[in-house]
Amino acid sequence: MATKEELLELLKDGVINYKEEQVKEAAQTAVDDGHPALEMIMDGLAAGMEVVGDLYERHEYFVPEVLMCADALYLGLDILRPHVPKSDSGAVAQVVIGSIQGDVHDIGKNLVKMMFDVAGWEVHDLGRDVPLENFVKEQLRTDAEVVAMSAMMTTTMLGMKKVIQMIKEKNPNVAIMLGGAPVTQDVANLFGADGYAESAGNAVQEGIKMIGRLREYEKKKAD
Amino acid sequence: MAKQLLIDAYRGKRTASPPWVPYAGVHCAFLINEPADKMLKDPKLLAKGVVNAAKRYKADGIPLVFDLSVEANSVGCELKWWGDNVPSVTTHPCSNKTPADAGLKLPTKESGRWPVLYEAAKIAKPQLDDLDCVLMGLFCGPLTLASHLAGVRIFTDLYKNPDFAHEVIKFAGEVGAIAAGFYAEMGSEIIAIVDPVASQIKSETFQEFVTPNSQPAIKVIHDAGKTSSFFICGDCTKVMEDVCKIGTHGFAIDEQLNMNFVRDLARKHEVGFGGNLKLTLALSLGLLSPREDAIVSLAAGGHIGYTFAPG
Repeated sequence: MATKEELLELLKDGVINYKEEQVKEAAQTAVDDGHPALEMIMDGLAAGMEVVGDLYERHEYFVPEVLMCADALYLGLDILRPHVPKSDSGAVAQVVIGSIQGDVHDIGKNLVKMMFDVAGWEVHDLGRDVPLENFVKEQLRTDAEVVAMSAMMTTTMLGMKKVIQMIKEKNPNVAIMLGGAPVTQDVANLFGADGYAESAGNAVQEGIKMIGRLREYEKKKAD
Repeated sequence: MAKQLLIDAYRGKRTASPPWVPYAGVHCAFLINEPADKMLKDPKLLAKGVVNAAKRYKADGIPLVFDLSVEANSVGCELKWWGDNVPSVTTHPCSNKTPADAGLKLPTKESGRWPVLYEAAKIAKPQLDDLDCVLMGLFCGPLTLASHLAGVRIFTDLYKNPDFAHEVIKFAGEVGAIAAGFYAEMGSEIIAIVDPVASQIKSETFQEFVTPNSQPAIKVIHDAGKTSSFFICGDCTKVMEDVCKIGTHGFAIDEQLNMNFVRDLARKHEVGFGGNLKLTLALSLGLLSPREDAIVSLAAGGHIGYTFAPG
């Protein structure tokens, strides 16, 4: 019988090296043996994804590798998530997420979405090429605390400013996060956003980095 | 405006001063107070927009369109049109089938939007010749076109289903070769493969999928006696050696790369290079001084094989 530490290592290694079967087996074993599902998610799957983020940042992993790691992570998450006790799984917060109108690029957006999924947020994914007013409507409908928008192109990025204005007019307390290739801190400031994809290069890197920050948050919450 | 200056720079030669290409794209529509979709669908407006932008910006070269949906649309992908942007590809016929199983055929001059482009080139080319300005032909590179055909799955299929990925990307390369031939026939003196997502894979993957599937188009361009280039976007540091070795006369990059690194690499491989003006921060939003940004780019680019252009 595998120990908790061994299972965590199998989950982590399975995500890093995109070993889907290994992740599935380890996740199922963890469930069968009664190990805490949330710990398996955060210190196994998410810990693996943090390493993937480092590998991506160092240009050892690229988009295909990161996507395969994400596939492996989701396989584990599907098995473990239903076993997180309700007291642990109460949604941290809600996020409305989508790629902005005119932009059909959603790789980065989907990785950011995965991060919120892992952390137990209630995610309202509007998909890609989302009409500007739909971000506002969905935020009002769900009362989500965060709205996360992604743009891959300079031209589509300009629509983010309009969405921020529309949302802040209706509800100034919503935190708005921007991501995507053309976005920088200066752009986020100019548009009136609350957060941004720090790397300026892409949301993939930032999304994975945020998993680490959320793990810290979860740990603090547990303490 | 000087055609030969631009051709020389694209071929990595020394030039008296760096030539200039604005890569105006759908900004051409804005300059003539027309929506992008209307201009792209109307050959007369397209020619008017391109020639107007070339005059206004005193360009040494200008693309007929900078729109990577043309090739995908010509083999059956559907588009969603925008008034302020290029069209988006909305359907992926190879999302669960190979090109052969999906019944995809190589495009002809009558496919998709090619008739509009042919007609626009016919109107614009003599006017650009009068301005001594190169008519450039840009077409979608193999990996980006494969991502249009198959969707995001193409990135994981590179590993999980390499046979499928090879089939889709090979087809995309064949479509690119035909597009290159169309542009040569229209009179484009410089023809470029534009493969933005090729920066998102590792060097070995680039060599396996992008390099070989760019060769049919490069052969078409060179056989027609034209000048070739390879455009890539994003942080492509790890594949820059592969870009230099792909077989084109030069390459173009965007604002995310260090210009000194790019210049030194281009000179090592004796190829032309261009780009790097900050499209987002300087030209679109004015967060940086476009003038200072231009001075930095010009200082780094130098006089050997460098084309001054936005990234």
